Amino acid sequence: MSSATTAKPKKTVQKQTAVKGPTNVLIVGVGGQGVIMVSKILARLSQLQGLQVKQSEVHGMAKRGGSVFSHIRFGEEVWSPTIPMGEADVVLGLEWAEGLRWLRYLKPGVGTFISDTKRIVPPFSCRDRRHDARHGYAHHTIAEIVAQVPSAYAPDATGMATELGNERVANTILLGLLSTVMDFPVESWREVLAEFVPPKTLDTNLKAFEAGRAWTKQDHKPLVDDAATQAAPEPLLKREVKLEITESWCKSCDICVKMCPERCLALNDHQIVELVKPEACTGCRVCEWLCPDFAIAVHVSTVPINTISAEAAGEVQA
Amino acid sequence: MSKLALNLKSLQKAGEKSDHKFEIRDYLRLDLFPHFLCPGCGHGIALRALLWAIHDLDIELDQLAVVSGIGCSGRLSAYIDANTFHTTHGRPIAFATGLKLARPDLHVVVITGDGDCLAIGGNHLIHAARRNLDITCIMLNNEVYGMTGGQVSPTTSLDRYTTTTPLGNQEPGFDACALAKGAGATFVGREVTLQTTALKNLMQEGLSHDGFSFIEVISDCTEIYGRKNELGSSPEMVLSQKRSILPKFDGTAVDKPFRAGNWDTGVLVREDRPEYYKAYRKHCHKVLGTAAVKK
Ligand SMILES: Cc1ncc(C[n+]2csc(CCOP(=O)(O)OP(=O)(O)O)c2C)c(N)n1
Ligand code: SF4
Ligand code: SF4
Ligand code: SF4
Ligand SMILES: [Mg+2]
Repeated sequence: MSSATTAKPKKTVQKQTAVKGPTNVLIVGVGGQGVIMVSKILARLSQLQGLQVKQSEVHGMAKRGGSVFSHIRFGEEVWSPTIPMGEADVVLGLEWAEGLRWLRYLKPGVGTFISDTKRIVPPFSCRDRRHDARHGYAHHTIAEIVAQVPSAYAPDATGMATELGNERVANTILLGLLSTVMDFPVESWREVLAEFVPPKTLDTNLKAFEAGRAWTKQDHKPLVDDAATQAAPEPLLKREVKLEITESWCKSCDICVKMCPERCLALNDHQIVELVKPEACTGCRVCEWLCPDFAIAVHVSTVPINTISAEAAGEVQA
Repeated sequence: MSKLALNLKSLQKAGEKSDHKFEIRDYLRLDLFPHFLCPGCGHGIALRALLWAIHDLDIELDQLAVVSGIGCSGRLSAYIDANTFHTTHGRPIAFATGLKLARPDLHVVVITGDGDCLAIGGNHLIHAARRNLDITCIMLNNEVYGMTGGQVSPTTSLDRYTTTTPLGNQEPGFDACALAKGAGATFVGREVTLQTTALKNLMQEGLSHDGFSFIEVISDCTEIYGRKNELGSSPEMVLSQKRSILPKFDGTAVDKPFRAGNWDTGVLVREDRPEYYKAYRKHCHKVLGTAAVKK
């Protein structure tokens, strides 16, 4: 495994003059991070070079826990506004898992991957309501990713921006980094940046831009044991829920059936309550608390993971 | 045994106790089950909350006396495996008063209904509240005489149909909590059966209070009152309690009230006033001399 965050890019993104097809840059994030601003800057830079630019984006999804992305394509001639999978010269992630989500769009072997290591865990990454559920947020370590992609940069841009006094300039730090792998004159970057950022923040933004440029030249500590992105340890204990139903006490009032938040109970042909979706039961006890007839008892126990209780095993065999 | 070892032992014991989960069956007279309440009757949920509170307070069943009157609510005492008294209609508070004065060491709980407590037993309630004797009175308010087939009660909401108000009730109902407060109860609270855990916590506070505590439980008579007034199925009735709660913190209704009344819930009154038994004994010591007062 690589001991540095960056494997130095073998070559910079091919110059537009040397290639026929357009240059493709995919910018991704979670909303509120400046994805659109970064793409505007890039588009403007390309226009200033007299190149054709096409851009398409999806935004406004952030509030629903969705991602925000923007495709930028520029070159002498650009037709389609979207980047096909595996064709991106650069994937720029403003958030770690979003960067990884779009990694497959990168040109295999030659594309450059740049991503903030900032993790914004969305609520939807855990849709299992059980107590010990694991979330689905990317568990890859930075080192793992850097090792896979020949040209990868994974700075803690948000951390650096916070040090500069404004967390929101993280995107400008990444922009600075991006400027080192692209072929536009560095002065143009600064000018365009000044055009797009609020005047009051220009000073900080310029500092952030330089910080991003300088980052590539620094020697970075190995991040193999980066705690923030380590895979979550396996839980050693598992919660086991058992519902004990006293059929002879149930009076078919339907309260538990209608009040179970997971809808896992039903009245059977004899109008007696039955657990029809045991896998969905979270052990929340709502049924137990609201049954006026004490016909349901919820038993919750913790058992070592990977062991099935003897009783449960018996049920499987039966 | 060394002092440390002893301490460890007692700590372990405390740990075992707190780990001991609430199993309602430990508190019931199982030979009487299933109980006689109708399907969906809120009184069952209230009984669970009470037993759960007793469990969480570590009250031993032989240290508990439950006194009830007559009604569907009154029947509940029979199901509890403690010292229970199923007394006459309207009189549980009177019985409980005598019992508590004779056995102040017991936890005395009264389970009563809106008819039992506010109609025939209304006088007992106000005087118990005035005296501030340390008993916990739990009134299950279903706005009706459930047991006798659905007659109007002192808490029946306006325009509601009962067997004795076939054209709709035109008497305004009592606010039982306001009544208890006015009569001097030092602890007053109200909760709905839908919020079982909150109800249990309220009961726990009432049971721990030194003085007369009055708890009104909003309960559903599904089979009689619910049917007569087309209040919906059992789950619909219990869920509709939510719409009738008037949260204390901002004083605005959550939603359009489903029932005619809005209710404040939670602890409504908590006051410090001399408890009757203790005050009475103190007085006896003073006027009769300590030697003359029985231990
Ligand atoms: C002295 C006397 N009067 C009347 C009755 C008839 N009676 C039995 S229960 C009851 C009312 C019960 O209503 P409530 O207290 O609200 O209890 P619920 O059944 O609604 O829980 C009445 C009037 C009686 N048993 N004894
Ligand atoms: S404990 Fe009961 S209410 Fe909760 S999910 Fe399981 S069956 Fe449903
Ligand atoms: S709440 Fe209890 S009595 Fe009603 S249907 Fe469910 S198990 Fe049966
Ligand atoms: S008559 Fe009403 S209060 Fe009595 S048991 Fe039936 S539902 Fe409950
Ligand atoms: Mg009643």
